[in-house]
Amino acid sequence: MTVAISVQNLKFRYPDGKEALRGISFEIADKECVGLVGPNGSGKSTLLLHLNGLLPESLPKSPDVMIYGRALGRETATEIRRDVGLLFQDPDDQLFCPTVYEDVAFGPQQFGLSEQKLKVAVMKALEVTALAGHEHRSPHHLSSGEKRRVCLAGVLACEPRVLALDEPTSNLDPRGKRNLIQTLKSIPSTKIIATHDLEMVVELCSRTIILDQGTIVADGPTHSLLGDEQLMLSHGLEKPHILRHLHPH
Amino acid sequence: MRHDFLDRYSRLGSPIHRLPTALKLLATFSLILATVAVPFSSLWFFVVAAGLLLIVAAVSAIPWLFIFKRLLLLEPLALGIAVMALFQPNGTTIFLSIVTRSTLCLFTVILLSNTTPFENLLRALGRVGAPRILVTILALMYRYLFVLIDEGERITRARMSRTFSTNRVRRWQALASLIGQLFVRSTERAERIYAAMTARGWK
Repeated sequence: MTVAISVQNLKFRYPDGKEALRGISFEIADKECVGLVGPNGSGKSTLLLHLNGLLPESLPKSPDVMIYGRALGRETATEIRRDVGLLFQDPDDQLFCPTVYEDVAFGPQQFGLSEQKLKVAVMKALEVTALAGHEHRSPHHLSSGEKRRVCLAGVLACEPRVLALDEPTSNLDPRGKRNLIQTLKSIPSTKIIATHDLEMVVELCSRTIILDQGTIVADGPTHSLLGDEQLMLSHGLEKPHILRHLHPH
Repeated sequence: MRHDFLDRYSRLGSPIHRLPTALKLLATFSLILATVAVPFSSLWFFVVAAGLLLIVAAVSAIPWLFIFKRLLLLEPLALGIAVMALFQPNGTTIFLSIVTRSTLCLFTVILLSNTTPFENLLRALGRVGAPRILVTILALMYRYLFVLIDEGERITRARMSRTFSTNRVRRWQALASLIGQLFVRSTERAERIYAAMTARGWK
């Protein structure tokens, strides 16, 4: 088994003194899809930012995050960012270019792809996210669902081995959500999805990690964790409807 | 929400719209430079320039009323400076000179920005050799202007829904805090945008 993400005793305190992560350890295997759930402020987004080396602001000398066997430190951060594609919560933060094409091309461009290869990569990403033909639109003319898809295309164009998604279905209508889930299903890379959308977790993730107040309170198969009403309620969550109607045979 | 008050007509299909961006950029710069540099005594130049601009405007099919309103909106800034000139000796000529020049320059820029999509302008600027950092700043400004306006509108609406007095002082206070809040939110967003850029390899 190849280990994609390995986190050892990760701690983080925000400058204002808030302790966001209090010693987190877990491993995620190659091609695994893991749901990261927990109440607001439990540290989900903070954790994802760590996987990309965006936090802490000065990377530690003794790294606590390993991506495909490489320790995430000052020297490796740039390369590791290529391996880990991060989808941000607010699409407007992530879409900073004047047109869809330029935005999707931004990542690969930073990695120095040739004009020819760049175009192929962008077109492929737009194809996967059903955005072909929208290349020349401006982000401020897109709907929320389209914005989200452009963000995903921008991440996919970098061909990351790990996808770290922060609330990918928030603000989406049911159809947008369905399409997104289908798209994610079709992408074979390792995935870690921070979300409140438990139905999506049931559908996409075989394993779930529950985070509360900066610690991992449970880590195991999605069905047994999310199906445990007591556990869910005690951490500000609830048993998803889908599981209420699933009976063991 | 859609915002197109900046360059509403920039995507029409007139012959002017179809001209290469670099050419339009060059023409704009030369015309502005000339308008500023040619001595006011060469009146013929200003007449010709105005005639030229009027023809371009007519061909581009941008509504006259739109151009006029836009001029009206921008002119007061230049007018403020021009009025000060009135108090100098020979003030009327300087006043007329400033007003003519600024009107022509504004007219030129309004035409450029409404016959060329902004992203094309940015690309042309980059190709002409404008500093990369400047082009990036312009691109980000154009992109986030709209987000900022949306945010301002949302804050205003949220406040309106809980505003029950018509007290003017209160309203000014509310406006001040709105501006403050926008500023704080923008700094926070700037940090998140920078993180998103870094996440995709920006150095």
